Amino acid sequence: MKFLCLECNTAMKFKESKTPEGGSLTAIFECPDCFGEIAMHMNPWETQMLKSLDVQLGGKSETAPPMQMVRSFLSDHKEGTLSSSHTPQPTSSTASESEEGGKCPFTSVVADAFQAQESEPADLVWTEEAKDRLNRIPSFVQSMAKAGIEEFAREKGIAKITGEVMDAARGNFGM
Amino acid sequence: MKTYNDLPNDGGSDIAGQVTRQLSRLEERLKSVRHTVAIMSGKGGVGKSSITANLASTLAMRGNSVGVLDADINGPSIAKMIGVRGAKVDYGANGVKPAVSPLGVRVMSMDLFLKDDETPVLWEAQTQKDAFTWRGTMEISALREFLSDTEWGVLDYLLIDLPPGTDRLPNLVDLLPSLGGTVVITIPSGISQLVVKKSLTMAKKLLNTPVIGLVENMTAYVCADCGRAEDMFPSGNTEEMARQFEVPFLGKIPFDPRLSMAADNGNAFVEEYAGTPASRSITKIAQKTESFFNRKI
Repeated sequence: MKFLCLECNTAMKFKESKTPEGGSLTAIFECPDCFGEIAMHMNPWETQMLKSLDVQLGGKSETAPPMQMVRSFLSDHKEGTLSSSHTPQPTSSTASESEEGGKCPFTSVVADAFQAQESEPADLVWTEEAKDRLNRIPSFVQSMAKAGIEEFAREKGIAKITGEVMDAARGNFGM
Repeated sequence: MKTYNDLPNDGGSDIAGQVTRQLSRLEERLKSVRHTVAIMSGKGGVGKSSITANLASTLAMRGNSVGVLDADINGPSIAKMIGVRGAKVDYGANGVKPAVSPLGVRVMSMDLFLKDDETPVLWEAQTQKDAFTWRGTMEISALREFLSDTEWGVLDYLLIDLPPGTDRLPNLVDLLPSLGGTVVITIPSGISQLVVKKSLTMAKKLLNTPVIGLVENMTAYVCADCGRAEDMFPSGNTEEMARQFEVPFLGKIPFDPRLSMAADNGNAFVEEYAGTPASRSITKIAQKTESFFNRKI
């Protein structure tokens, strides 16, 4: 995909990507002549497609650690199989970092965002009852369910996840 | 207004270059592998994985260094059949160390990563809804990583056990254009051969991939008491199919329930039941596979 500044008839350059929000990644491109910017918002499926290709917006200057894609995105794995000192760490990407050979791995940006969703965000509190209920959900869909409930809570401006919130989220999912 | 082809690059991401570098990494890794062999069928349930496991063990028993890649990302079974299930995945700076069977066969499989028997392969995503849009790409990327990021070391043979589906070989050839050859498995049923013919067309005529030969599995049931052989699927004619496609016929493997028992126990049937008709047949197929490559050298 290439971007053209219609005003200057000039190829735009990648500037930065933003951590996915609700599964949607944003990439910002800039015209080198007029410095006009555009934002490309990718829907969750487009974001996921890029993740699955294991490529990085803004370029990739580092050699990827072994099995980076599998280790970043395999949902339910055997303990210890996906961890080593080679796990990717970066959290954001900019064009300047890329040009300087810095870290701007797209995959890691997305992975980080999704991993952040897995851990308890600071703005949301799960009650013990809600945690118990979450733990009773089959393990292979647990992280997905948790992310969905948290997204539902954020959309509704709910800070504490209770059993009632889980029921409401469930109704919202049409389950 | 400038068009797509007028613009020099994609703005700095060089996505095409990244994909090219992924494939170069794979090519570099496989420089120490002499021969890559895909075991395929197109049809499911014909015994591809069982033959892969036993062909690998036979080649190893004949003094070759052998690796097996389980390309069935969603239904991995090779690790159990070869007896490495539960092996610890160990990372080095240069890649992931494969599990090693008692006969020295090096194995990489998604099974080594999964939590337990019930856990399916599921990829992290905001939603699993409409996952068909990206799941296939995720699986190909996983296969690429298994090929390129496993510390295979020096191998005479790397056998790649493909899942069912006539689309699997072209996917593999996209990753591995220098594939050494394919062993095509069928059973002597008309239904199986209907599908396998499509795979042969794909391999030989469309992809121009070397076909080592065609194997007929589950040919007959041999009575353990009297030794009499009874046909199990009398409707197909595998040798005629081999002639039609001008590919070598590698042999027939009779049905033997001990093949399944050995696989369940993670034992090499060809070692545990050496001398049985099925074991002798697999040994001949291994010899013909060696001859195929020796003739080419």
